[in-house]
Amino acid sequence: MPSGSVSISVRGARRVYPVKGGTDLIALDDVDLSVPAGSFVSVIGPSGCGKSTLLRLVAGLEEADRGDVRVCGVRPAEAAAAKMLGLVPQAPALLPWLTVLKNVTLPLRVNRAASRRRASAPGPSMEELLRKAGLQDAMHKLPSQLSGGMQQRTAIVRAFGLRPDVLLMDEPFSALDEFTRESLQEQLLDLWDELKATVLFVTHSVSEAVRLSDKIVVMAPRPGRITDIIDVRLPRPRRAELLKTPEFHHYEDLVRDRLRGAFQANAA
Amino acid sequence: MNAAEDVLTVTEPEPELIVVPPVRRPMWRPGLGFLHPRMWLPLVLMLAVLATLWTWGAHSMPYLLPPLGDIGATLREDADYYLNNAWVTLKEALMGLGLGLVAAFVLAVITSEFPLARRAIMPVAVILNVTPLVAIAPALVVAFGFGAAPKLIVTGLICFFPILINTSMGLRAVPQPVLQVYQTVNASRLETLWYIRIPMAMPYLFAALRIVFPLSVVGAVVAELSAAGSSAGLGTAISLASSMNRLAAVYASIAILALLGSVLLLLVTALERRVLHWHESRQGNGG
Repeated sequence: MPSGSVSISVRGARRVYPVKGGTDLIALDDVDLSVPAGSFVSVIGPSGCGKSTLLRLVAGLEEADRGDVRVCGVRPAEAAAAKMLGLVPQAPALLPWLTVLKNVTLPLRVNRAASRRRASAPGPSMEELLRKAGLQDAMHKLPSQLSGGMQQRTAIVRAFGLRPDVLLMDEPFSALDEFTRESLQEQLLDLWDELKATVLFVTHSVSEAVRLSDKIVVMAPRPGRITDIIDVRLPRPRRAELLKTPEFHHYEDLVRDRLRGAFQANAA
Repeated sequence: MNAAEDVLTVTEPEPELIVVPPVRRPMWRPGLGFLHPRMWLPLVLMLAVLATLWTWGAHSMPYLLPPLGDIGATLREDADYYLNNAWVTLKEALMGLGLGLVAAFVLAVITSEFPLARRAIMPVAVILNVTPLVAIAPALVVAFGFGAAPKLIVTGLICFFPILINTSMGLRAVPQPVLQVYQTVNASRLETLWYIRIPMAMPYLFAALRIVFPLSVVGAVVAELSAAGSSAGLGTAISLASSMNRLAAVYASIAILALLGSVLLLLVTALERRVLHWHESRQGNGG
């Protein structure tokens, strides 16, 4: 993919959920977003701001009522058919009867026609990816034998193993404790650095968004909309030490201010 | 006093990391654990009490209960007769079960894949389930004669409903995030069914099988009892013996039926252990 091209493009997207006996919920109202290829973009905002809806639109799990969503120039459903997408949901969503290795390879075994078309891309094997994620000893274990952090790492490897053009992550670390979360962020950045996918990452953690992203999209609820887009100009690789620097705190404060602004504008 | 000590120990700073051992569910091990008296003694005592009560009952009311010794003697003298009839009944039960299983599984897949089919099929299945099979059996005998057919149908019907309900519930029990992950790689419906839904339904299917395996014997016997002209089977043996007032022979057949049911239950439990090892282990680790 040439640099400078756009991986995800959302134009004038509107999504309304009908509410029985009440006013309809406008989950997304006239949302525009453009994510450059190879960049890491986080979407942050309070609950009900439509950030997960936005992700589901890009994943092709829902259709916009109005507007246009494109992934690498095609509609999300076509992108899914061509296996250009990888999804990491909030829950690890592993199959309890399959070992870790079989869990991460199953997505390769379904929709084989698309797998064959994509087979050209060389890169690390699933076993190597699992090793990189620190799961070498867990490969032949069942998900129930793993900790929550290891299960979520498995889910991330499953998505990365598809070599997707676009990786969609919906609050993947929100159920984990602080330490596990930070070490998973580091591993995620390492994998991303190696495999170079475009990432759309939904989160409600400010420091997580700052640490991971090139760009942070701030959203506000009722109706769900984008209120700000912040460029994070911090050097990569972003190791744990970066979290203590004044530059990092500067960005954290900035995002927090903008989030608060989004809230107050809404209340007024 | 103790409480005060507890408070004191709690306020002490903990110098080391506390390692909590994982809580394990006390499992019945298939090893030699059952040799321990704690495992078999309660059952043996219970059986002894029941046998004593039976013997007392048979002594005071000889027209109601035959002495245990007579039942044993019948079983020994006519071992071939009982074995042959047990084999016939077991065959009917298992074949009927197989029939019901296949039909119920196929319909479960259809009803879980197509909501329209579910709305058509499920009410009929429920009506079939609440209709007493003992009432249907004679009609089936009239229609299909004294051969194996009515027995297989009755057994199949009795096994059908629990399998249908449980399997169709299991097929639809896949969590939404799992479906979404496979939707974004465009897994076909068939792939989703084969790789995800059917394995997910297995614990549900086995829960039904545990009910249905012993029930299949009930179905076979009910059908045999309704078909007055049948030539073989334990149900036939029971109706023959009771018409001749041979109480010991009736109870001999009943004892074998109880044994058959228990063996089938053991069989399905063993099968479940093999197929659902992942499910067992999840429970073993306490979530």
